Amino acid sequence: MLTFHIRSAGQQTLLDPAELWRFRHLFRTILWRTIRVRYQQTVIGMAWALLQPLLLTFVFTIIFGRLLSMPTNGQPYPVFVLSGLLVWLFVSQTFTSASTSMVANPHLITRIYFPRVILLMVAITVGLVDFLCAFALLIPVLIWYGLMPSIGALAFIPMFMLAIMTIFGLSLWLSALYVPYRDIGHLLPFLVQLWMFLSPVVYPSNLLPHKYSFLYALNPIVVVIDTSRWAFAGGAPPQWSMVEVSIIVALVFCVTGFWFFRRMEATFADIL
Amino acid sequence: MADIAVSVSDLGKWYVVNENRFYGSLSDVLGRWIKAPFQRAQDVPYAASATPNAIWALRNVSFDVEAGSVMGVIGRNGSGKSTLLRILARITTPTEGHATLHGRVGALLEVGTGFHPDLSGRENIMLSGTMLGMTPQEVRRHEDEIIVFSECEDFIDTPVRHYSSGMFMRLAFAVAINLEAEIMLVDEVLAVGDEPFQRKCKAKIRETAFAGRTVLFTSHDMDSIRNICQSCLLLDHGRVVRQGDVKECVRVYKEMCGVIETEPKP
Repeated sequence: MLTFHIRSAGQQTLLDPAELWRFRHLFRTILWRTIRVRYQQTVIGMAWALLQPLLLTFVFTIIFGRLLSMPTNGQPYPVFVLSGLLVWLFVSQTFTSASTSMVANPHLITRIYFPRVILLMVAITVGLVDFLCAFALLIPVLIWYGLMPSIGALAFIPMFMLAIMTIFGLSLWLSALYVPYRDIGHLLPFLVQLWMFLSPVVYPSNLLPHKYSFLYALNPIVVVIDTSRWAFAGGAPPQWSMVEVSIIVALVFCVTGFWFFRRMEATFADIL
Repeated sequence: MADIAVSVSDLGKWYVVNENRFYGSLSDVLGRWIKAPFQRAQDVPYAASATPNAIWALRNVSFDVEAGSVMGVIGRNGSGKSTLLRILARITTPTEGHATLHGRVGALLEVGTGFHPDLSGRENIMLSGTMLGMTPQEVRRHEDEIIVFSECEDFIDTPVRHYSSGMFMRLAFAVAINLEAEIMLVDEVLAVGDEPFQRKCKAKIRETAFAGRTVLFTSHDMDSIRNICQSCLLLDHGRVVRQGDVKECVRVYKEMCGVIETEPKP
């Protein structure tokens, strides 16, 4: 028989995998509900996941490709921008929805007990589903330009995990801070915009002088986008030294974020 | 002597009322912000004495509930009944003390937990059931029973937002009462639906109690307390006033209501 011990907030265990496993059905239920409800009463449904990168690629190609003649290391601009944009849209959308996941679900948090991190995991999984849909867009574009994915495509999966880790770590911090401090709601869109300019979405990463590469690698999304470009648009792989820095940064986000989240978690139901 | 299913000792919960506790000067907020994660929960009582609006919603509460018995928790509004059940359901954490529960806990604290208006009644049964802790298999096993109990058979595949409020409540209650849990926490949900349905709910709760489950039950209806419960806990302002004998607790409660009712709430 299961035995539960209820203790005050400071005495809980930091990580309880067995408990997370017990709540797997709840994870599935909330995930299913989120996906189900999101595309209800929309006319084109899941096509939204495709339309956004498609339209943005079109706009960016005209502005940055044609009007500003952005250097792309010889790659056709639409492929260049789409291979970065797919990663970026995943990062920005998932980061935003994961960071707001606590505040967006007060009716669940104040009514039932479950490890609150489940809401964050749901947000990331939903983002992943969207990403996989949008990713299909790349195939006709590659065929159109007669491009074959390079060996870098194999590296893309682990690098994508790095993006997920980064999002997870950062949104652990922000979602927990968002509960008492509604300022986060105003900060988030600004933060995402800033982050986009700091990531090589519309411009190539080698536009930055080499001596700044360490600073640049503090944003783990840089090497993820570079890997995606290397894999699908051609060009050079990211520097390994940058990848190392990015992995450490993402790990720090995750560990500190998880610790902070667990400390704050107990207060969510009282504040929301 | 029967086994103890729920054991609570020295439970306390501290709240700040009438104040957004995160207001204050920027340096205040930043200072707290930096300190907060390092602060242990045990330190909170010292903060309580420093904050003028702090109240103990619950303090020094200890009791044991035998497995398979029904305990009533009574008290006036704001006496800490709901806080107690919310702590036991683990929705919120206590400030001090601890509790041990042997068995799966099903909480029926607010009806409609996890219901989504855009999904059908049948989909919501699955949703709400898993949210309350059932496995999908268990929900499917009880589905027919739930639908019949809710009296919503004709509309079960219609989105819940088209339901009348009575239907909504009945369905929500039907899901919750069919939970397979060893320990049930039930809060005031008897005030659901019309008279016949309320009677049905009461009967079902009694049946639940006789089925060998442990139930913690709060209500303002002293008749159901006397009928269902084997023991009782009377709370006032977060403290235990009486515990044990049901008749004695109900008598003191009625006395309290009669005498203090006219006084304004602090």
